[in-house]
Order: sequence, then C-alpha cells, then structure tokens
Amino acid sequence: MSRLQKSAVYWLCLSPLAVVILLPYAVMLSTALKPRAEVLSFPPTWIGSELRFANFAEMWASTGFGPSLAASLIVSAAATVVCLLVAIPAAYALARLRFRGRTLYAQLLLITQMLSPIVLVIGIFRLMAAMGLVDQLWALVLTYGAFNLAFAVWMLQSYFSTIPKELEEAAWIDGATGLQSLTLVFLPMALPAVAVTSIFVFIYSWNEFVLALTLMRSPDKFTLPLKIFSLVGGAYRIDWEYVMAATFLASVPVAIVFSWLQRYLVRGLSVGSVK
Amino acid sequence: MQRATLLPYVMILPSVALAIWIIGYPIYDVAHTSLHDVNRFGQVREFAGIANFAALWADPIAIASFWRTLIWTVAVVGGTIVVSVPIALMLDDDFIGQGLARVIVMLPWAVSLAMTAIVWRWTLNGQYGMLNATLFNLGLLDGPVEWLATAEVAFPVMIAIGILVSIPFTVTVFLGGLASLPRDIFEAARIDGATAWQRFTQLTLPLLRPFINIAIVLNIIYVFNSFPIIWVLTQGDPANSTDILVTYLYKLAFRYGRLDVAAAMSLVMFAALLAFTIVYAWMVMRGRQAEAAET
Amino acid sequence: MKNLSRSLMAATAAMALVASAAPGSASAAEVRVVVAHYSDATQEIFRGMAADFMEANPEITVVIENVSWDNLQQRLTTDIAGGTAPDIAIIGTRWLVDYVANDIAEPLDACVTDEVKGRFIETFLAPSVIDGVTYGLPVAASARAMYYNIDLLAEVGYEEPPTTWDEVIEVATALKEAGHYGFGLQGKEIETDAYWYYALWSHGGDLFEDGASGIASEAAIEAASLYKAMIDEGLTQPDPTGFNRQDVEALLKQGRVGMILSGPWLRGQMAEEAPDVNYGIAAIPMGTEQATYGVTDSIMMFASSGVKEEACRFLTEAAFTDEWRREFTVREGFLPVFKSVAEDPAFADDPQLRAFTEMLPYARFAPLVPDWELMADTTSAALQNIYLGNAEPAAALEEAAARIDSLLQ
Repeated sequence: MSRLQKSAVYWLCLSPLAVVILLPYAVMLSTALKPRAEVLSFPPTWIGSELRFANFAEMWASTGFGPSLAASLIVSAAATVVCLLVAIPAAYALARLRFRGRTLYAQLLLITQMLSPIVLVIGIFRLMAAMGLVDQLWALVLTYGAFNLAFAVWMLQSYFSTIPKELEEAAWIDGATGLQSLTLVFLPMALPAVAVTSIFVFIYSWNEFVLALTLMRSPDKFTLPLKIFSLVGGAYRIDWEYVMAATFLASVPVAIVFSWLQRYLVRGLSVGSVK
Repeated sequence: MQRATLLPYVMILPSVALAIWIIGYPIYDVAHTSLHDVNRFGQVREFAGIANFAALWADPIAIASFWRTLIWTVAVVGGTIVVSVPIALMLDDDFIGQGLARVIVMLPWAVSLAMTAIVWRWTLNGQYGMLNATLFNLGLLDGPVEWLATAEVAFPVMIAIGILVSIPFTVTVFLGGLASLPRDIFEAARIDGATAWQRFTQLTLPLLRPFINIAIVLNIIYVFNSFPIIWVLTQGDPANSTDILVTYLYKLAFRYGRLDVAAAMSLVMFAALLAFTIVYAWMVMRGRQAEAAET
Repeated sequence: MKNLSRSLMAATAAMALVASAAPGSASAAEVRVVVAHYSDATQEIFRGMAADFMEANPEITVVIENVSWDNLQQRLTTDIAGGTAPDIAIIGTRWLVDYVANDIAEPLDACVTDEVKGRFIETFLAPSVIDGVTYGLPVAASARAMYYNIDLLAEVGYEEPPTTWDEVIEVATALKEAGHYGFGLQGKEIETDAYWYYALWSHGGDLFEDGASGIASEAAIEAASLYKAMIDEGLTQPDPTGFNRQDVEALLKQGRVGMILSGPWLRGQMAEEAPDVNYGIAAIPMGTEQATYGVTDSIMMFASSGVKEEACRFLTEAAFTDEWRREFTVREGFLPVFKSVAEDPAFADDPQLRAFTEMLPYARFAPLVPDWELMADTTSAALQNIYLGNAEPAAALEEAAARIDSLLQ
C-alpha cells in the first residue's frame, strides 16, 4: 500500500470524528457572526444576511472578556509553575531513590487523584475563606496545583525512570556534584517530560470550572469558562451571538498554541527516547 | 550518610504538604460535615451519627443516580478506549496530513468542558439548533427532533459527547506510550514476516498495556466525577432521569441546602472510587504476576 | 523551552502584582452590596446609586458586586458558610424564610421608617414581611400574563385573545390546523412548576391547603390533565420536556406559536430581537377563577454585617429613592414597586404594562416555606413524568404531594 493510499484510508476513518469535532466550531462561528435579530430565526441557517464581525468587538466590550482572558492566563501559568516546582523533586525521588514509605507515598498520591474538586468543594471553600483567599487568583492557583500534583508526579516519574542512570553516574565520575549532575545532565534530558506535563496542567487549569465558580467573586477575575457560563446563567436573557463569539475567542488561542506545541512535543518525545 | 537518607523525604515534603493542606483538610471537613446536622449555610449543629447516610440510602433518586453513574462511566470510558487505540495508532503512523489530523483530534481539549457543553446545548436545540437544520437540509429528518427532551435520546447523546471530549487525553497517553516503544523490535518482527495484525496483537497491545491501564484508571476517575456536560445539557432533567451522582450532589448541596447529606454522598462516592482503584490495581498486579510466572 | 519558562516567570511576576494590588485595606466604612445580574444594565445602575451616595457621604465606600441569577443562591450560601457574607444582597424573596430561620437576615424595622414603607405598593412589600417583621424590601417585581401573536390568531379568524382555557383549546385547535403551534408549554428547568401553577390556580386549586400540599387536589389533577390532553392533541409544540423558559419564549420571537405565558421582561427582548412579530398581552386564561403568579426579589441585610447603619442609609437614601427606583424599573423592564413610579405616565399610560398591573389583585406568591426549592423540583419532576406519558396525572401528583408533605413535618 502506497503512502498515498494509506493516507486516504486513514483520513476516511478519521473523517466522521473530524466532522463531529469541527461541527461545534462551525456552529460557534456561524452564530457569532449573525445579526441579533437572526439568531433565533426559523428555519435556522448557517449564514445570516450579513457577516457581522462587530459582534466580536461588542462582545469584548460588554462582557469584559479581556480581564477574563488575563485571569485565565495568569492562573494557568502560575498553577503550572507551582505544580511542577513541587512535583519535579518528588518524581525524582520516586524514580531514583529508595526510601521507607515510598509505597505509602505513592498510594497517598493516588488517593488525591481520585478526588474531584466537586466532591470537596464545600471543604475547599471553607479552607480558602479561612485563609482569606476567596476571590483571590491564588486560591485557584493552589487548588489547581494540588489537584494536578499526583498526575504530574506520575507522568514525570515514568519518564524519569526511562532516563539512563549511567549518564548521571558518568557525570559524578567526571567530578560533578549531585546538584550539578541533576541540573546539568538530568534536567535537560527530562525537559520533554517537563514540557508535556506542563501542558497537561496548563490545560486543566485553563478549562477548570467548578472551583472557579465557587471561589471567584469579581467579574473581572472570572476565568474564561466561568465568564462564558455567566453569560448563559442569567435566567431572563441569553445573547447567543455573544456567547458563541466569546467561546470562539476562548478556544482559538488554545487551539493555536496546541498546533504549535504539538510539533514541539513530537520532537521532544523522539529526543527523549534516544537510548 | 545521614543526608542521603533524609534526601528523599526532603524532596517529597513540598508535595505532601501541598496535598495535605489543599486536599487533606477539606476531606476532614467533609467527613465532619457528613456526621453532623448541618444547615443550608454550613453552620454545624448536633452530632447526627449515620442519619445522613441513612437519608441517602432512603432516597430513590440517589439510588437511581448511582446506577446511572455506573452506566455513564462504563459507557464513556469503554467507548473512549475502544475508539482511541486505533486513532492513536493512525496518528503515530506517517501519513499525509498527519500533523493536521493530530491537531483536529486534540481540538476538543482546547475548549473547556463547560464551554463545549454550552455549544452542544445550542447545537442540539430542537427548534433553532444547527444540527436539526443540517440534518433537515440533507433530507435525513422531516421534522424537528428534540434531542434533550427524553432520557432515551439525551443520555446516549451525552455519552457520545463524553467520549468525544475524553479522546484527546486518552490518545495523548497512547501516543506517549507508542513513542516510548522500541522501534527496532517492530523492525525485527517485520523482517521475520509478522503481519501487521500479529504485530498489533502480540507486540503493540502488550507493550501498550501499562498505558491503557493508566488511561482506564484516570478516565474512570474523571468521568465518574464529570459534572459540566450533564449539568449544562439537561441538569438531570426530565424528572431526574439523566442525573448522575455529581449532578445530584450539586443539587442536594447548593439547590436544596442539604449540605450534610451531600457530604455523606461525597464520602460514599470517594469510597466507591477507592474500592474500584484498589480492586483494579490488584487485578493488574495479579495479571503481571501471572505473566511473569508463564515466562 | 527557554522562551516558555521565561514567559511562565513573567506570568508569575504579574500574578504577584495582581495579588498585592488586591483591595482590603479600606480605612473608612465599606458597604459590600451583591446585586443580581438582571441585564447588562444592572451593574451600571447600582454603580450609579453608589456613586451618588458616596459623593454625599465621602466617609463611606460602597462596593457593588454583580452575580448571575443561576449562581446567586449558591454564592450567598457558600459566603455565609465561609463567613464572607456581604452587607446587603438582592435575593429571591422566597429564600428569606431560610435566612430568617437561621438568624442570617437582619430585621429592617429599625432602619426603614413607616414613611419609607409607605412608598411601596402593599402587594409587593407583603411577601418580605415574616411574622410581622420586615426582613426585605422588594427591588424587582413581576406578574405573569399571556403573550399572543396577533397576526397568527387573526389568520385563523380570532380578533380577540382567548380568556378561558376552553377558548385556548379552541384557538389552539384552529392554529394547529393552520400548521402553527397553538399553546407554548414549558417542560424543563427553572419554573417548569410555575408554568403549571397558572392552570392549578385558575382551576381553583392552591399549593397548600390546610397545612398539606395541594398539588394532588381535584383542581390540580384537572389542571395537569388539561396540559396533558393539549400535548396529546398536538395543541402545544411537540416534546415540551425539551423546552425551558427561553425556548418557549423563542417560539414567540420566531412567530411560530400562538400563545405563551411569560413575564414583563419579554417585552424588551421582543422589541430588540423580534421587532416584526405583532403581539399582544392579555390576562392568564381563566378556569373557574382569575389568577397569576407574582414574584418579587428583595434587598436584605445580613445580621453579620459590621456596618448596618451605613448599609441602611445606602438603602433609604440611595437605592430606594423615587429617582433610582424609576431608573431601575424603566431600564430593567420590571413592574413598579413604588407607588410614585406606578403613577408615572411612562407606566400608567402603557397599555401592555397595564395588562400586567391589572392582574395584580389576583397575584399569588410562592409560599414562604422552608425547602421550597426541593418541593418545586419534586413538582416539576412529577409534571415531566405526566407530560412524557410515564405516569398518570393523579398517581404522579399524589406521589409528589406525599413527598412534599413529608418535608413539611
């Protein structure tokens, strides 16, 4: 089978999935560009009487999209940093060092992974209120970091154990200290794993909803999912063209970052698997 | 030598501290709440023993939600794994447009579950949703279908959406696994004349199994606790016939003000997941030992 | 990768700046006000009030926080639980019962003089008074009426809207034969139960009779059977359990349904989104009597507030003045709660609004009982089972009534 034939077969197999995945984007764009009076017209059409790009600008101004975008970026980036700073040493210890209580520690992590924020939301809220962190972005940073900890440690540890120990040992023989071999030899090799893990944590934080709903108060600190939910949450009125414009803007940057990171990831993974 | 034995503990200490602080304390708080009579506003009154658990047991909606959660979890996770393995194999292979295909498959991940559900709610609307309009134009429908009006239609639709949004994560785990497989073994197998199917069942699947196991465990935890899809699309309607445990938990806690019963429900859910994970880990371990004994 | 980590560091630094810029060190008294998001104008109106008030009282800071309706109850509940309740909030008046029972609401009789109370229309103030004590001041009020599509009704030969349920069936049958939806019926989400209370009340039933649930009374079964018969005859839109309030309203905006029941907020939306639909507003159809559903939202003060005096002054000197009440009522499209505003020509001469205000003498309000939300959901679930044909009206309603009775004890 030639490469061309194989590609055709693959695309045929993937096409139903691709249609279902792309349909919401088409719907978002279609509704986002309709004039208000046509959003509820019957029968519905894909394209309105005009392509009303002004909806995006109006949505941006009337919903406070900008501050929410900033809040989402700040929270996701900070949560990723917090989570990795805590997870990297723990994963190294699990992958390289033998110590009493190692199994217990691994089990503890597994238990934290099983808890979804929604199950603990009452307790988390009271904790944050007691610490004065309600309506502070830090509350989200800490909880997102904590709820991703187990996953990050697992991911890192499984990659770390594929990095040959001999390289570090060689560095020791060459006279490097433990810290030097860690930062100069081990971490550079572990970078692909760190990058992959960062993406997981970042996406989780970018998309999280229940905790943001419970912990945030001021509309200008709403993360994007919460902001968009607040646009449909009003009982009296929903401006669907704004909702769809906002959803489109909130998902396109991630999609672009994704397609960029994806190439990076593939390269990173192949470098990481050099034996 | 002292330093060497302390080192691992120093390294895990920050993670233990963070987990106890942000997750451990709320567990204690929820457990405490579940054993007391607590009003709508979280003010703890007298000790209630197991009264809250008894109330849960006597609530037919809670029991029905439990069984529905099982169906939901098994259907979404099972569907996801079955669909994701071939997708990952294709995406791992070299073909024209591979990069584009990867981006498309990963796209649902770029949108928050809450947002995805909002868009689907709008798309599925019987009167002005684009799905009906498109099917109608294609001649596949002769009148509006209310996709979310009955559980018989709404629940499978939501399961399908659940599968769709679980694919990107699962495929990523599998791709990571496939990338770590030693290529030379496959090359050798091909030279030895193994067919593609033989290579898949005898090399790829066994080597991929740890990753499949991880994907199953993590997906079950995510899907069991998944809230936004059902909450946004049906809120458990009609007549609680699409409620799963987390949506009913949310109603109990925040709509009906039964914080104490909701806390009891949280603990029961946690215990169910814990039991599942222990049993699953035990099965995986036994399977591995059996394999080791054979070779 | 270097770029990535550098941008992460930059983000962390930005984060620290945000955290340090957070408020909290107010020197003077700070009054925190949580308002419900009625529309995009709500926040602006309340910020205007706050600005006026702060100009007159520079030593007091008023902070307005805007919360969506869906989120409001949970938000206040978690705030109270966590000890971070605001000083003043807009709430659904029916929530007051729970707040009063748990000593969370502050009595307002010391703050609000009889002169201020006299500014309100009595019907709307009454639901906020519990055991003779005023705990809330109505901020938004609505009654419900029937919206009908004048052109569709004329097309099938009716110049006047139906006034009784029998006439509704007659008109809906004609509309159905002409290929339109007759009567829009809501079957899911918030206020599914309320859409049926209109029929219950107009058939002579009530939500509570002699301290027990009245939703399985003869009138109730008659009302549910009426709706079910209309569904079976095709006089409603198909599959009502797929339609929430906004979906039913959308049918009117699309010009595809003859009659629906809704509140005054829909007028503004019709003007903006469906200017071509020619509609009228009439009374809720009668069975044996006339009825409508009255709903008020109230502003209440929290017992935990440390600035009660300042908060009280904000209410009486800014929020509940003629000027700001008129501003709010005009822009949000609710019914006036102030006598002076109701007499204002802008309201008194509006024929559509008169359709709502003329129903006020017949208005029923949600009963002030604890666990109301659970009871409402129980009723909605029973109705959904009836609409879907999963249960007979009598059986489903009796089961729901039994559950509600068990909650009353």
